Amino acid sequence: MTDATVRVAIAGSGCVLPSGWGVQRFWSAASEARSGIALLQSKWFHSERVTAFGHVSDEDHQTSRQDVAQNLQRYCPPSVIWGVSAVRQALAEAGLEPGNDGLRYGLYCCQGGYTHPSLVAYGELLHECRNESGADMRRLAQRVLQERALDPFLVLKSLSNGLLGIVSLALKLECECNAYMQGVAGNLAALRQACAALQSGRIDAAIVVGAGSELDPLALAALAEAGVISTDGSQTLRAFDRQGTGGIAGEGAAALILRRADDLADGPQTCLAGLSAHPRVGSLNLPDKQIDLLVSSASGDPYKDADLARTLARAGAAHITSSVPVTGILSGAPSLVDLILARNALHAQRVPPIIGLQQPVDPRLPFVLGEGRDAVLRDCLVINRDDNGFSACYQLDYQAAD
Amino acid sequence: MSATRIVITGMGAVTGFGFEWQTLWEKMLGAEHCVCPWQPDGVGDGTFPVRYAAAVDMTLLPEALKDHPAWNIALEKRSRFGWVAATQAVNDSRLAPDQLREAAVLCASGAPQHMLADMLLTLAPDGSAPGWQHLMPRAGQVNAEGSLRQSNDRLARVIADGLGCEGPVINISSACAGASQAIGNAFQMIRRGEVNVAIAGGADSVLNLDTMAALYLLGAASSEQRWGVDLCRPFDRNRSGLIAGEGGGFVVLESLEHALARGATPYAEVLGFGSSLDAYKVTAPQPEGRGAALAMQAALDDAGLRAQQIDLINAHGTSTPLNDVAETLAIKSVFAEHRHYRSLTVSANKSQFGHLIAAAGAPECMVTALACLNDLVTPTVNLHDVDEQCDLDYCAGQAVSRRVDFALSNSFGFGGLNTSLALGKYREHGQ
Repeated sequence: MTDATVRVAIAGSGCVLPSGWGVQRFWSAASEARSGIALLQSKWFHSERVTAFGHVSDEDHQTSRQDVAQNLQRYCPPSVIWGVSAVRQALAEAGLEPGNDGLRYGLYCCQGGYTHPSLVAYGELLHECRNESGADMRRLAQRVLQERALDPFLVLKSLSNGLLGIVSLALKLECECNAYMQGVAGNLAALRQACAALQSGRIDAAIVVGAGSELDPLALAALAEAGVISTDGSQTLRAFDRQGTGGIAGEGAAALILRRADDLADGPQTCLAGLSAHPRVGSLNLPDKQIDLLVSSASGDPYKDADLARTLARAGAAHITSSVPVTGILSGAPSLVDLILARNALHAQRVPPIIGLQQPVDPRLPFVLGEGRDAVLRDCLVINRDDNGFSACYQLDYQAAD
Repeated sequence: MSATRIVITGMGAVTGFGFEWQTLWEKMLGAEHCVCPWQPDGVGDGTFPVRYAAAVDMTLLPEALKDHPAWNIALEKRSRFGWVAATQAVNDSRLAPDQLREAAVLCASGAPQHMLADMLLTLAPDGSAPGWQHLMPRAGQVNAEGSLRQSNDRLARVIADGLGCEGPVINISSACAGASQAIGNAFQMIRRGEVNVAIAGGADSVLNLDTMAALYLLGAASSEQRWGVDLCRPFDRNRSGLIAGEGGGFVVLESLEHALARGATPYAEVLGFGSSLDAYKVTAPQPEGRGAALAMQAALDDAGLRAQQIDLINAHGTSTPLNDVAETLAIKSVFAEHRHYRSLTVSANKSQFGHLIAAAGAPECMVTALACLNDLVTPTVNLHDVDEQCDLDYCAGQAVSRRVDFALSNSFGFGGLNTSLALGKYREHGQ
């Protein structure tokens, strides 16, 4: 039976993001107001309308690859490699070694809704097999089947449970598991399942990991058409700013290790005290008390952000910040990244600023502009809104070491 | 053991057999299958090596479903099947709209199916290399039913919006174990008291050139010609790979208290759920079925059942050489005490309606529930020459009448993901 009174703590975290490899790089970037968003670069395509992207650097990708055995890499799109690396970082911080520590694990993964190989895998093939009426399907089939012109692992790389499979192989995990999709909703489902498994006593440690990348022309086209990302050539994501011009996509991975708080040694603890969700952000169930810090997602669209700000106002937070201008809009791990930011802020007793915010959509709200600030932080809310309309709220409580 | 009892009160299935679970059940009891000749669109000359599949036959669409909105808005094929199946399940449950408002929707679907025609738009008119810049000016030509405009969570959203569900909407992507995971998670959510009602299942279709080509190149899909349409033969010496099906399946799960309060009659009770990972290989199951055994044992433990209480196992039974041996070994290890595996009946539904990939676990869960309800076990068809490594009672050829108090339904996925659901005959006063 699940005992909801059992407190669940974040025991470790890891990430590979546009801000760099590792939580320390992410926290430094957020604290020092350095955005990881840069010029969109791809050897496969070029766009004059979508010109910015939150890239994971080649250097950080190479660092991450060292965490994945060579024989597994052929099954992995880049985001899965980052996911494995993020998990290893989180386990290291938590001081855990699956298989050697005697703990029972649960593995809960999330991936973005768009999967890696599409134009890259098909483009040349289609180019060769084009005829006057479209594609010569017979020729296409012949090339694929007889000449192996298509990567046979394409179907595996396209599976949104690839991360689950590869993490389990990399860590030799035979534990209970699930794989979820789609940003905020997927992160919430994974975190909820992890907390319930810990609270029931079924497992002793939960690995929650999300990863995704939309660095793909078809995926970016879909995001542009849906109004999620800007197509005006903008280079900056201005969260909650009246001058905002829309969103910028990012990529990366993040992982958390969750444990029962009572199982952890004495020391500062950040506990996940509440999770709630609703299809409408305005109907989110928020705690009935003053909150010290609020970490919120943002779209970069001033109208959408003004709408979201009305919900943020209900929270009555002392400080509001956002990680989105640091990373861009993430598909696989948006809430996990915000939870990492919140945990670091609670531990450091410092609030990072919202990068680039100059004219807030609601000047009455305590958005943190310019530079970060020291503050007494005992608790934090994370509010996330997805572009598919799904919204989630997490409450974190911080307990300093005695 | 769970204090809250969870029951199945509605079912909907779209398969090669048609659009109603009643048809599926009747034909399965009659030892029929719905595998037919198939070739990808545009390759109708018989050169494509995979020649059979259990496709949905739209000519079987009943009059009452012809006006369903799924056929009239831009959706991927799989999402249409899923929405119709979910609607059928809700209608079957007789839940009123106001009783659905708090319901959760848990939905599994597979990898997105790119439309080749959309990708052709990335080719430059002058024949130069493909590029995104060529697509944007022609965005209006993008197929509204293709993955470019249909993200992977589209089906869950459509079901939630279409049926007026405002509870949690969860997208699950765990390959061939997806629908089973969705049902298992829904069961856990109700048990934890998060919701009283959940609509859970999945939908999928891989019947297109690129996905079937990839499955063939991986050695998963059968290209066997010898047996004609009778080539899906789990546990047979001559099995040669999976036969893809398509469709969708959803069940309505409720707390028993909620179901009885509104006068519903349960089909069966969901008692437990277990999952595990092989941690062995991406493309092959652990040869001794260790991960599968862990999942079955976890489901038994979760249900508070002893292995000796199980009467039926609805096997994953893919008709692939590796899976069927590994699953047999897993069953023999979990049910080793008193050689209980000799008392079990094992049935493989995929022999009758093919492999529905991410959706597979949903109709298989329904068939398991119906076995508990009716004390009837559907057959494993085309099983004529049992593999010597597969030495259980697979209910070959014909349905059998036997007492089914408790059953497991197994689903395993690419990447080494295993799930098992424990179901039981509904009894008013508990198990």
